[in-house]
Amino acid sequence: MNRFTLLSLYRSLVRHKLYAALNIGGLAVGIAVFLILGLYVRFETSYEKGLPDHDKTYVVQTTWTLANSPINGTFAWTMGGLLDQMREDFPGVVGTRINGGGNAGSILAGGRATPVDAAQVDANFFQIFRLPLVAGDAATALAQPGNAAIDEQTAHAYFGNRDPIGQTLVLSMDKVRTYRVAAVFRDLPKNTDLKLSVLVPLTREMGTENWYHWGSTNLQTYLRFDTPAAARAFEGKLTAFVDRRGKELADVGEKPSSVQQLSLLPLADLHLEPQGNDSSSAKTTVVTLGLVGVLTLLIAVVNYINLATARAGLRAREVAMRKVLGADRGTLVRQFLGEAVLTVAIAALGGLILAELGLPLVNAAGGLSLTLPYEVVVPALVMLTAVVGVLAGVYPAILLSRFPAASVLASARSPGGGRAGTRIRELLVIGQFGLAIAFMIGTAVLVAQTRHVRATDVGFQREALIVLQSTADSAVPKDRLPSILTSLRALPQVKDVTVSNAAAGGSGDYNSDNVPLPGVAGPGPSLKWELVSPRFFETHGTRLLAGRWFGDAYGKDDVYSLDQSKGFNIVINRRALSTLGFASPEAAIGKTVGGDRPRTIVGVVENMRFDTPRKALPPTYYLYYRLPEKIGTSVTTIRTTGDPRSAMRAVQALWQRMMPQVPFNAKTADERLADFYEADDRATRLFGIGAGLAVLIGCVGLWGLASFNTQRRVKEIGIRKTLGASSLDIVKLLVGQFLRPVLIANLVAWPLAFFAMRTWLAGFEDAIPLSPLFFAGATAVALLVAVLTVLGQSLRASRAAPAWALRHD
Amino acid sequence: MIRLENIQRRYVSDEVETTALADINLHVEAGEFVAIMGPSGCGKSTLLNTLGTVDRPTGGKYLFGERDLAALDEKDLAKFRGWTLGFVFQSFNLIDELTIEENVALGLAYRSDAGDRKGRVAAAMDKVGIAHRARHFPHQLSGGQQQRAAIARAIVGDPKLILADEPTGNLDTANGEQVMNILGALNDDGATIVMVTHSPAHADMARRRIDMLDGRIVASAMRAM
Repeated sequence: MNRFTLLSLYRSLVRHKLYAALNIGGLAVGIAVFLILGLYVRFETSYEKGLPDHDKTYVVQTTWTLANSPINGTFAWTMGGLLDQMREDFPGVVGTRINGGGNAGSILAGGRATPVDAAQVDANFFQIFRLPLVAGDAATALAQPGNAAIDEQTAHAYFGNRDPIGQTLVLSMDKVRTYRVAAVFRDLPKNTDLKLSVLVPLTREMGTENWYHWGSTNLQTYLRFDTPAAARAFEGKLTAFVDRRGKELADVGEKPSSVQQLSLLPLADLHLEPQGNDSSSAKTTVVTLGLVGVLTLLIAVVNYINLATARAGLRAREVAMRKVLGADRGTLVRQFLGEAVLTVAIAALGGLILAELGLPLVNAAGGLSLTLPYEVVVPALVMLTAVVGVLAGVYPAILLSRFPAASVLASARSPGGGRAGTRIRELLVIGQFGLAIAFMIGTAVLVAQTRHVRATDVGFQREALIVLQSTADSAVPKDRLPSILTSLRALPQVKDVTVSNAAAGGSGDYNSDNVPLPGVAGPGPSLKWELVSPRFFETHGTRLLAGRWFGDAYGKDDVYSLDQSKGFNIVINRRALSTLGFASPEAAIGKTVGGDRPRTIVGVVENMRFDTPRKALPPTYYLYYRLPEKIGTSVTTIRTTGDPRSAMRAVQALWQRMMPQVPFNAKTADERLADFYEADDRATRLFGIGAGLAVLIGCVGLWGLASFNTQRRVKEIGIRKTLGASSLDIVKLLVGQFLRPVLIANLVAWPLAFFAMRTWLAGFEDAIPLSPLFFAGATAVALLVAVLTVLGQSLRASRAAPAWALRHD
Repeated sequence: MIRLENIQRRYVSDEVETTALADINLHVEAGEFVAIMGPSGCGKSTLLNTLGTVDRPTGGKYLFGERDLAALDEKDLAKFRGWTLGFVFQSFNLIDELTIEENVALGLAYRSDAGDRKGRVAAAMDKVGIAHRARHFPHQLSGGQQQRAAIARAIVGDPKLILADEPTGNLDTANGEQVMNILGALNDDGATIVMVTHSPAHADMARRRIDMLDGRIVASAMRAM
């Protein structure tokens, strides 16, 4: 590339500012979208990879395969004592356990309780999770029951600049206990699901009664293997292990391993692995957004190539002249490749700037905290520039260097790559608009579905409802619960109060059991059960379909005071009707199910969706406890009289007066349910931004192409007008020419969008139908955009005086 | 200096075969000024393009000095053009994005011998009286000025042969005269020129006139000095 090439490129960009802005701007936007979504994918797939030896660490998963059970699925949780039994059966196995993490405890200081990411871990924790220590000794840090290891942030928050080693802190986790800080570890990175700030030794005394109860899952067990092969070999022995050790599981199945299996999952895979019967939304989201990034870049590159080749024809004269002056093909190919790489480099720089500017917006829209790591981004952009530059430059370079100099210089018209060139450009427009239309359909469906999920009937009145989780804290003495409830009821902002072991937002326990049906062999279908106390349905505003609510007046309602083998009353939800084989709510009333624990149905209520819309709603039956304090995990739900925010302040003040040592943990039901929609909302927003920009880039491409074609056809327009064509005829001709590829693009877009959206909607139990309106609407928008894009130019061209047009070359 | 022997140029498309040049035999001596005339489509420009090696004959022999140009590949031909030839076109063919000075300098861009480029460019521009427009862009100049700039580009490398394809075709009479005077002066200084023209008056300024018809040379006459 000589000086003149650079000069002529620079001047060409300056002279054709609009063209340069479209060409480089479009590519820059594409690169920015690709960069940002690439960062998102990189972040999401980097979970746990910042931890030392993450590739040697595996989490033990429990998979349930019960007949018709709502809890079937794979969970990264195990029985407490599993590791002990593994050590007995497989001497030499190296593992550790984590119980808690993420706000699981609270530090008591100055009469106030502050939630903290506390966990109980085995003494050998630091041998498996080799977190870098700032102070203390990894081998002995957790060796004493009264020792604690804390992260730097906690050390700083509680001890300031004092040496934290040897200091004490009071931690409430199951019990209130004083610990002596024996080690300080580096704060964990952002890209980890291990939320650990305070670590204390895990002791059997603190464990649950289910420590060796096969069938329970209450903590996380991690194993360490030096090679993946060793992990696989160990995994192969687990079926026999379950059959040998898990004899109690045989109650519900023939062989223990037919209802429960154990498996190993590499630590780094845990973040995107769906838990239980969730549809794999996290993975789908990451893959989808990654695809959006790649496809947007593709559209931008296609765009660039399209505009570059179209414009290249206009430079035929220059090329011919250079040939005449002695430039050979190699020189010209190098010149055009050089120009293309240089232009793409400018676009890459622009893309980087756009990404940097756009990142705060995207972070806000996606609930992310992404930053541009230049040490990765710059080499990636350099590579991208080389690849895209060569891709974009090679076709025009070869095309142009092939033009026969003699005919180009002799003729007044510039060659545009002939019919083949036009075909290729049309194909590129079809591909580009096909993707853009598919993106539009996708965005519309995503938005409609997330709206639908938010607006859908959850089976209870979610407004003006507060869920107070603090009452379930083990630090709350059970005998204090009645007085807390009484005080809550006395608040003027409170209308109703109830306690249950599950609440809106999915917190609390998740229990299920098999309900034998009369006259049907086998253990019967598996139903979820929830413990509720007085005024549970009334507080939630649940709709009663048949029968009655629970009440203290009915002798067989209060399960706690009854011998269950003699029978008790239950209320079921609508979903349980079909599971238990009833044709209507009325048909279920008075019927008894449940084999040796006879359960009589006294009420049928609407399905109450406490959990994520991505989980199947389980058939459920409700058990009644007259005394709320007898419910193990006692979550309180409060119906407020007016604005829940003012009620929230009153409840908080009351809580801090009565239970200052227990952190106040409450949210409105709306907020808690919103957490479930948040991931999909975020994904929808990110998708919408990416798709919107992709459509924009597509339009830019169409505009550029339209302007190029119109320019090339000025003479033709002149001839047509001389022969009697009206301005309208000319507009029709030009617009029609561009509508054809856009219409054909729909053939590409529709099946693509249909299959993609059908797959995505399958992840929701309550999915909207894939209406043809989405498709027709996107097509209409695409056509409208295409018409508007080319209309302005067509109008201008159609108005030109024929004499001028005929002289034009 | 130039020897064309039985040069043929045929274009073959799907169904039609067109003969643009048929058995052309032509000698051009160094220092000659040759004008080619003839009706449109008679093969004038094809002949000029063949001389300029931007079109390859389908038969015959083209000797430039002692060199047989048929034996050269594309790369060597490009080099040959850069070192040996200067072109002037009816439609100027200046590059819009470059200034006049830069356009003229382009005549040296593909050569390695250029030496004092600036000086040579300035001299070439001086010769055609365009130096005062050096920093302007082509679209800022009149047609005559543009053609003079194109001539400066053609002569900046001291070519052995200048090929001019209707150099006055796009110009008014006064500008046409000016351009012809420049070409005449160049020829007086020793340059060899082959020019295609429709103007008998301009053809008369050449030393030799060749008339073509249907791809053949039908007459060749020396002008009486």
